[in-house]
Amino acid sequence: MSSPIRSPDGNWWDNPLASTEKKWLGASIITAVILFGWMFGWMHIGDQNPTGRTYTTSSAQYRKQVAAYKEKATRTEQGLRPAGRDVYIAGLQFGFDGLPVVLEAGREYRVHLGSYDVQHGFSVRDEDDLIQQFNLQMLPGYEWVVPMTFDDPGTYRVVCNEFCGLGHSGMQGKFVVVEGGS
Amino acid sequence: MNLALLSAPYDEDGFRSCSVTGLKLHRSAERPVKLFVITAVVAMVLGGIAALLVALTRWEAVGLLPAADFYKWLSVHAWSLLIFWMVFMEIAILYVGGPMVLGRKLPAPKLAWTGWSLMVGSAGLILYAVWVSSPPNYQPLLTSYAPLESHPLFYLGAILFILGAVVAALPFFTSIWQEKVENPDRSLPLVTFGAFMTSIIALEALLGGLITYVPTFLWRIGALESIDASWYRQMYWTIGHGTQQINLVAMITVWYFMTYVAGGAEVISEKVSRSAFILYVFFINLGAAHHILADPVVSSGWRMWNCSYATYGAVLASLIHAFSIPAGLEVGRRRKGLGDGWFGWLKSAPWSDPGFSATTFSIILFGFMGGITGVLMGQMQLNTLRHNTFAVPGHFHGTVAVGTTLAFMGFAFYGIKLLFRRDWVAKWMAKAQPFFYAGAMGIVVLAMMDIGIIYGVPRRHPSVMDLPGTAFDFSASAPLFGVMGVTAVLAVLAGAAFVIVAVGSLLFGEETRPSEMLPDYSGLETVGTSAHLTSMRGTAALTAFLLFVLGLFYAVDWMWLARLWEFGA
Repeated sequence: MSSPIRSPDGNWWDNPLASTEKKWLGASIITAVILFGWMFGWMHIGDQNPTGRTYTTSSAQYRKQVAAYKEKATRTEQGLRPAGRDVYIAGLQFGFDGLPVVLEAGREYRVHLGSYDVQHGFSVRDEDDLIQQFNLQMLPGYEWVVPMTFDDPGTYRVVCNEFCGLGHSGMQGKFVVVEGGS
Repeated sequence: MNLALLSAPYDEDGFRSCSVTGLKLHRSAERPVKLFVITAVVAMVLGGIAALLVALTRWEAVGLLPAADFYKWLSVHAWSLLIFWMVFMEIAILYVGGPMVLGRKLPAPKLAWTGWSLMVGSAGLILYAVWVSSPPNYQPLLTSYAPLESHPLFYLGAILFILGAVVAALPFFTSIWQEKVENPDRSLPLVTFGAFMTSIIALEALLGGLITYVPTFLWRIGALESIDASWYRQMYWTIGHGTQQINLVAMITVWYFMTYVAGGAEVISEKVSRSAFILYVFFINLGAAHHILADPVVSSGWRMWNCSYATYGAVLASLIHAFSIPAGLEVGRRRKGLGDGWFGWLKSAPWSDPGFSATTFSIILFGFMGGITGVLMGQMQLNTLRHNTFAVPGHFHGTVAVGTTLAFMGFAFYGIKLLFRRDWVAKWMAKAQPFFYAGAMGIVVLAMMDIGIIYGVPRRHPSVMDLPGTAFDFSASAPLFGVMGVTAVLAVLAGAAFVIVAVGSLLFGEETRPSEMLPDYSGLETVGTSAHLTSMRGTAALTAFLLFVLGLFYAVDWMWLARLWEFGA
């Protein structure tokens, strides 16, 4: 019998495989192909992908961009209403510059994500249905433009989920999504 | 009291032979193994105390610690258990898998002691840095994501710990070298081969660690002006995940060893098992890319390449071991006449032997919890559902806290008998411990995963039931946190039971007589057909069930994702 703590005898490479093990190998390879195919395919058929253009920037530069965007936006009681389709959000210790923001349901926005200081998390969820949530990373020195379309009106809460200092737990904001055209 | 450490059963050349495994052990290898195992257990005690404090804080009905203390103890918890407990055990496993299994002396034993001293000293430095950190030095947690600054001594400690581990691994490499020079035509035993592959992966990871921490240290002391957050993340995960891959491969090596010693397993195919280890060497560290799946900067092509072809090389290897280890047990036991039917070989197994039960629970829970969630999180889009939520620590407690830790506990139970030659004290506690720990920790893991995926609760957060500045909170998840809190306390108690048995046996255990030590399969005659023609239908059923559960969760996850609003280009 073959023991794992003894050197195997003779030409063990040519020892026959059990047929059950061969079938398992086949099933494993098929599993791997399905996993890859579906992930790659979702890029083409799916609507949820953590993708978008990245630009190199600096904290000072990004601050200027966000300030210019806020200048053009309209201040309302619920939050900023962006002038166009671009929405700027910056993480900072300990809050989100640019939030709260008022968006229209069904309209695609280009959401710019960046940071003024350290790494932050961008974790968004539907306030009334917490399971509807997703999470992206925000890095200083980079501006990430992720297109986003909220289907339904409601409040979408944002929390930071990357440890960013002792005030981390208080870092939050929200999207207020209203009916299109209102 | 028995001073087990000091007893000297060796012959004139310093060898003794083990009555259970038949191995020839030399004291130059055995002594450092004892030292590394004991050090690992000390780290585990510290990490376990920290675990209790962390769990009682996140269970906000108790809400033990304020934020600053929470992050401090979370850092102690992470470094003590994910790094110190694991790496000290792994050096011991290298010495067992190399010189001991090969029946050799440990070459250059002074390097083992030097490595150990460096590792212990630097571990102390890291813990000191964690202890004295206050803003602008932030707690490193495990990741110390730049540009958030940690204490300069922390980075220095990390560098020295890596160097210490490399020094401690050198005698192992030398022993493999000597073996191949003296016996060029003899294949390494599978356990030695696995340990060798573990050490190659470890070197890759440790090299990545130096590339990460040296520039980060220079940046922290002001010698470098700035550090790129994306560069740091990509480099950090070569060691951050790399060290966990060492845990994985070391654990699998222990699985092969323990199923053989405790269960009477055979190796059903040397070719397949060894090929799987080689797949790990090529692919598993690339899989670390799954940590930056929700990141900007790296392209989607890069992310999908590294988390598909590259990762599947490793996933394939894991699926191979997931079959060949239980199949080895099934075939080994069937051929010894220990059980028939579909699962007779499992029913007749020595479940009251903690070495066997710990190993078996480790295999099952690792596969179903750590393994399945790992595959799900490795899909770029599904990763956005879990990234930095409580489901992430849920996943890696499924791999490390139930998988690797249980395997190492089983291994340590046997170490007490085989190396220290002491009988277990409080036998009832030793027998019950793996059941108790696997049950409690298994529920902790399920609760953590559910809290993360169902409620999107962030990880690394001391108070989600009350967020400053808003009426919004995560109190809907409070009942599940209650489940997690209660079972986490039980799991810590089960961990304490392990320490009581381990330390108690070393101090007060009776010297064992070889005849009554452990299950001895060598006397049983092997019957029936040859290994590859023996039925593996029990394993086939179990592994088919694993694939079915994977498929089920895979489908559910994608349906969940598809319900979300649109994002991404």
